[in-house]
Amino acid sequence: MSEGQSQAATPELRNGGIGISLTQTSEGRDAYFPGLLHYRSWRGAFRPPAASVWPIARTALMSLFRKWIFWIIYVLGLLIFLLFFFGQYLLAWAQTQAGEADVQLGGWGRTNPRHLIQLFRGLLKLDGGPQTYYNFFAYQGHIVMIVLALAGSILIGNDLRFGSLPFYLSKPLSRGHYLLGKGLAVAVFINLMTTLPALILYAQWGLLESWDYFYEYFDLFLGILGYGAVLTVTLTLLLLATATWLQRTAPLVMMWTTLFFFCRLLASALVDGLRFSPRWRLIDLWNNHSLIGRTFLGMPARPVEFSNQPPWYEAALVLGGVSLLCLTYLVRRIRAVEIVK
Amino acid sequence: MPDLLGSPNSGRGDREVGTRVEKRSSSARRRVADAFPPAVEAAGSPRTPLLLCQRVSKWYGPVIGVNHVTLELRSGITGLVGANGAGKSTLMRLITGHLRPDLGSIQVHGWDAGSTAARRYVGYCPENDAFYEEMSGRQFVEAMARLCGYPRREARKRTEAALERVGMAGRAERCLRGYSKGMRQRIKLAQALLHDPELLVLDEPLSGIDPVGRSEFIRLFRDLAALGKCLLISSHELEELEKLTDHIAIMAHGRIAAVGAVAQIRDRLDKHPLLIRIDVKRGSLHQEGVEQRRLAAALLKLRDVVGVELLDGQPEEFADPVLVRARNPQHFFQELTRLVLEEWYEIVRLETLDDSTQAVLGYLLRSRSA
Repeated sequence: MSEGQSQAATPELRNGGIGISLTQTSEGRDAYFPGLLHYRSWRGAFRPPAASVWPIARTALMSLFRKWIFWIIYVLGLLIFLLFFFGQYLLAWAQTQAGEADVQLGGWGRTNPRHLIQLFRGLLKLDGGPQTYYNFFAYQGHIVMIVLALAGSILIGNDLRFGSLPFYLSKPLSRGHYLLGKGLAVAVFINLMTTLPALILYAQWGLLESWDYFYEYFDLFLGILGYGAVLTVTLTLLLLATATWLQRTAPLVMMWTTLFFFCRLLASALVDGLRFSPRWRLIDLWNNHSLIGRTFLGMPARPVEFSNQPPWYEAALVLGGVSLLCLTYLVRRIRAVEIVK
Repeated sequence: MPDLLGSPNSGRGDREVGTRVEKRSSSARRRVADAFPPAVEAAGSPRTPLLLCQRVSKWYGPVIGVNHVTLELRSGITGLVGANGAGKSTLMRLITGHLRPDLGSIQVHGWDAGSTAARRYVGYCPENDAFYEEMSGRQFVEAMARLCGYPRREARKRTEAALERVGMAGRAERCLRGYSKGMRQRIKLAQALLHDPELLVLDEPLSGIDPVGRSEFIRLFRDLAALGKCLLISSHELEELEKLTDHIAIMAHGRIAAVGAVAQIRDRLDKHPLLIRIDVKRGSLHQEGVEQRRLAAALLKLRDVVGVELLDGQPEEFADPVLVRARNPQHFFQELTRLVLEEWYEIVRLETLDDSTQAVLGYLLRSRSA
């Protein structure tokens, strides 16, 4: 306590009602002014609280990128992308190399190599059509699921588990900004794994085939963005909610396994095995994503190989409901984070 | 336990802020706060208290964490002491806007404590030291600087300044995982100092710090207080807290039992007369205890003295101690001075034995639990 304060302090003692004035005199201030903190007064404009969303996301992503397990799984995801990328490239290149003359296929007879390549494209679904992107999203989705289940505790769970949240919330930003920042980190990751590579495949096919592809199949471009957006919103909210709830990695993995694996098995058993209503498939969240994805990509919602399915709008309703539920939980949970230990 | 009760509305600051609140509702203030950057905000007038808690209560379900607390702080250091579970951390979280009070209001510089505008004035150093273990100290502090709203370049400058101030500039490249408790405390303090806040709320900042570090922190806190900053420091290290400030707020069972200078709080504890040791010099080698008894008899005639005890003195000290229990210490010491001058006692030692923060806290808490 400085001299000035001691002189000016007038304590009042009350039970629950206290007022003290610790006003420093100018005399005391002059006497004790130290060369403290090399700060100069900040004259610039502070960035708005919304600007803190990206630093939060960046911090979360950096935490994730520092884990070696993340890179292993990411490389696995990258392999799928490379398979599609070079598969398309190889077939396009092979088509340019193929001549007009028929070639002998062992004992099966002769065939035109161009037809053969078209056949391969059709079988492998590497033809730049909706099925290509649908397959790509489906394969990448599995990898995304695994990474998200492992990354949930790093991205948000640890903040609550170890009490790091006060560091964020003591800064001039709200809980909403915190959630947005964390959500942005998850969204960036999901799109890095799904939407962005799908768009690269789309661009590659257009460049390999012809510029007309971009005009003729512009709806595919929008479909990729739409499918990516649905995945981003629902998975982000689901991850934030489950990570906030469970916090630790092991329970989080179990929860995601239940949601995306056992629910799928259960739905299949109920609908295909016990002949229940196809609506029971709505408990399979990944199937709901697929249904909406097919709609976005302009694919028939109920082909033969995809039978006994509920309509896509019911799947959309379920995902919307789940997202809303997650959002409600998050708002309540983050608000009460200091209370609920 | 003295009658420490009083009207919670009687403080000068209460009336001032009450008027302000009537003029602008808290939601309106928040909208204004979000619309304008703090650089152009109308800061509180010099008479506005930096921190004003008005009849604040907070429940955790059926348990009350903070009970009808009113507190007004301007500049200087205030120690917040109390037993575990007394409500110190809850009060700090309420002040820093992490929790919203169920009843009452908290304002920082006139702004609602939960608003982003108020947080620009507040630096918070929580008790918890869980960070992102893979980050370096510098990265962590810089990330926090960005959250304060500074552009990248300014954030870096402030990070360096804050790290230097807490003595971590040369060690900030290491991962937080490898930091000792003391280094973590320094990093926590650095992130709280980043935006040069006017109100610093520090939850157990001295915990885990080595003695050299403690003295550095204490010097830093004093320097900050001398600059006109307001520091609210909770600590179990009462001896260290006494070195920092003699102004404390004592919390018990969610209420603030007393606020003020330790000595003045002590004076108000009527049920616990002040314990004073007076060593009086012997007249000669063969007059052991004579002066002691004479002084005791004189002391007993004083109105404020409730008891006197004669202790055995050390032969080599040529002085005999008298233990006095007295109420109304201020008046007692005036009377004692007069007595000594009139009767010409040779006092070689005069010491109050139970006016430390520890003793005061003990008396208050025992009284409250009784």
